[in-house]
Amino acid sequence: MEGIETNEKKNILICRCEEVTKGEIEEAIEAGADTLDSIKRATRAGMGLCQRRSCQMLIARIIREKTGKSMEEIYPATFRPPFRPITLDTIAREGERLFGTGKK
Amino acid sequence: MDLRVKNHPILGKDEREEMVTIEVDGKAVSAYEGEPIAVALLASGRRVLRRTRKRKEPRGVFCAIGQCTDCIMTVNGVPNIRTCVTPVEKRMKVETQEGLGRWKESKRTKRKISSSVDVRR
Repeated sequence: MEGIETNEKKNILICRCEEVTKGEIEEAIEAGADTLDSIKRATRAGMGLCQRRSCQMLIARIIREKTGKSMEEIYPATFRPPFRPITLDTIAREGERLFGTGKK
Repeated sequence: MDLRVKNHPILGKDEREEMVTIEVDGKAVSAYEGEPIAVALLASGRRVLRRTRKRKEPRGVFCAIGQCTDCIMTVNGVPNIRTCVTPVEKRMKVETQEGLGRWKESKRTKRKISSSVDVRR
């Protein structure tokens, strides 16, 4: 019975965008990835469309439980802008606005 | 079927009258202009908005505030539009998306979506 429960917990989806399970994250931690960034590189957890907005606290908690690190050591990870999903089109437009298009 | 709350204890009576039609996977769905696309779809009884890339699992509204990207669909040919924070416009074309979807639209519709989706929210 215990075995089944552990198995089910391993299958819990942590990163919804990249479909990474708790088991996969735990394996990565066992293999030495013990920061949010190294887990991201090992499993792709947090690299999907939402850019870890949904899963970073869950992953941080798994790291804390597995390694005994304090939350201050784990969180926050490096955070890169943009903070909202935007298209390259929008960025290009901002460039046009700031620097002109080259047309005179 | 309409799952909208017509008489809300705090927000009061829903007095909107005129509805517009949007096209969802080729079928007409009526919606209020300006309400989130996901709301229009939920109200019409539809809960599955997309399928995931790896496992092909169904996904629908999860966070409903534009954070989680679980409710993404292809809107006017632009994939990965968060339907929970994108307002309904007249004659919008909404499609179920699998994985990250595909681009297949004219420049005009692309501009329209990118400005309404990305700048205001």
